Amino acid sequence: MEIRDVILDFAENSKKTKFYFKDMEKAVQAKMPGAKMRDIKKAATELVKEGIMIYFSTGSSTMYGLKGRGMTEDPTEGDSE
Amino acid sequence: MAFEPKRPVKEINYAESRIYTDAELNNYTEEELKNFKVKHEIPMLEELEKGPWPSFVADAKRNALHRKKLADGRLLLDKEGSEDLLGLLEQSFEEGETHWKHGGIVGVMGYGGGVIGRYTDMAEKYPSIAHFHTMRVNQPASKFYDTNFLRTICDLWSYRGSGLMNLHGSTGDLVLLGTVTEQLEPIFFELTHVMDTDIGGSGSNLRTPSCCIGKARCEFACVDTQELSYELTNHYQDELHRPAFPYKFKFKFDGCPNGCVASIARSDLSFIGTWRDDIRIDQEAVKAYIAGEIKPNAGAHGGRDWGKFDIQKEVIGLCPTGCMAMEDGKLVIDNANCTRCMHCINTMPRALKPGTDTGISLLCGAKAPILDGAQMATLLVPFMKAEPPYDNIKELIEKIWEWWMDEGKNRERIGELIQRVGLPKFIEVLELPPAPQMVKAPRSNPYIFWKEEDVIGGWDRDINDYRKRHKR
Repeated sequence: MEIRDVILDFAENSKKTKFYFKDMEKAVQAKMPGAKMRDIKKAATELVKEGIMIYFSTGSSTMYGLKGRGMTEDPTEGDSE
Repeated sequence: MAFEPKRPVKEINYAESRIYTDAELNNYTEEELKNFKVKHEIPMLEELEKGPWPSFVADAKRNALHRKKLADGRLLLDKEGSEDLLGLLEQSFEEGETHWKHGGIVGVMGYGGGVIGRYTDMAEKYPSIAHFHTMRVNQPASKFYDTNFLRTICDLWSYRGSGLMNLHGSTGDLVLLGTVTEQLEPIFFELTHVMDTDIGGSGSNLRTPSCCIGKARCEFACVDTQELSYELTNHYQDELHRPAFPYKFKFKFDGCPNGCVASIARSDLSFIGTWRDDIRIDQEAVKAYIAGEIKPNAGAHGGRDWGKFDIQKEVIGLCPTGCMAMEDGKLVIDNANCTRCMHCINTMPRALKPGTDTGISLLCGAKAPILDGAQMATLLVPFMKAEPPYDNIKELIEKIWEWWMDEGKNRERIGELIQRVGLPKFIEVLELPPAPQMVKAPRSNPYIFWKEEDVIGGWDRDINDYRKRHKR
């Protein structure tokens, strides 16, 4: 299993549809104890580049989410929590 | 060493890049402006125009009239954005609550910062600002601009955005206020490919680094703040654009302890130029100041007659550590006790100059949040050299980040983490020795906790035996 698979599993099944990097990091490290932060960031960045994941930003802090799950571009259109 | 850009710098030529003609840019008269009414009633906002200061309401009205008078097809956004914006704000003033929603999913390909999604919940009433996203543009070091650049970006933002900007945001960026999602990529293309600039930081990223005017125009600058800012901006591109921090993180660079960018109060990591040798003294110039031949403060307070310059009263007596004196007609400074307050140097700049063995003091943990309290930075390293390629600085930055990313909670600034776990733990992680400069008042309270391994020979003590003799 690769880091990206664990991230996707977390993104698909976590209770919250958007989450902080740290929550994602903890989820990966729970399944892959040796996983390095830098490698998790690289895998998450790759998923964003591929359009599978998205960033959600309030302007002051940033969260990650799975594209199409829970929120859309306009927060009026999805469950914007 | 002369500054070398990392790649050739592109010259912007407004004559080639301009979108609007002079006639279009000056398309209304002051008389028309005086008679112009925005389409919403805004009595409270108009009160703001009556004060002594320039008002954003007046600026927004100018923008509204200018846009209204442009021909169809000369703007890619709705013409009424500024009017709707004023109407929405008036409504918020009346109701005492905001009508902006919190955040959103907008950005440009590959970037996790620099674009902040803004949507109003009153889109039916104010349709032209249903989307009103912010873009932050990385300002040049010290905010040195060429008018070609400024005019080009103004044209671009009028054409593809609202025409409203904020120069500059508190982090330093040019803040372009209000555009729609479909314009983000075209604007980003223009900024990067035509204007040779980049968008700045936002969210849980390294924010756009910001520096004082530095050696470009200031004789007090102890380090080249522009070079340091440029180097770290380039070196930490991944941290600037791809968010993985617990929260925001700001660098600011002051060339001397005068602190013109207030890095000590406004940045998570504050770099302040300093020196570790002696203040340079020109005794002849000191005499000239005393004799009234040179104006103190370079004549900055020359608007009224303050009387004859009194070095005892105006300099020596104001030294916070009392480390200055006149002896046999000469000014002497006990440099070991100088706290770099800069007062004497500022008052007599032709007589006193910072030393020549220069570097930086590094401070960490300032924040100025809207909620909770503001916090000044804590001194971490009293002195370190700051010379290219700045490996010593980068090494320390990365240690700080690694610890913060491991230990910090979501939305916890580094300064809050230091407060939570304590400075001793922080400096232990950074492998920095405790220093008197880290203590607020080391002479009256020099207390630090020593661990047994810090003390040669350690110690043997039975706490229960001690307590028999010393009750709590």
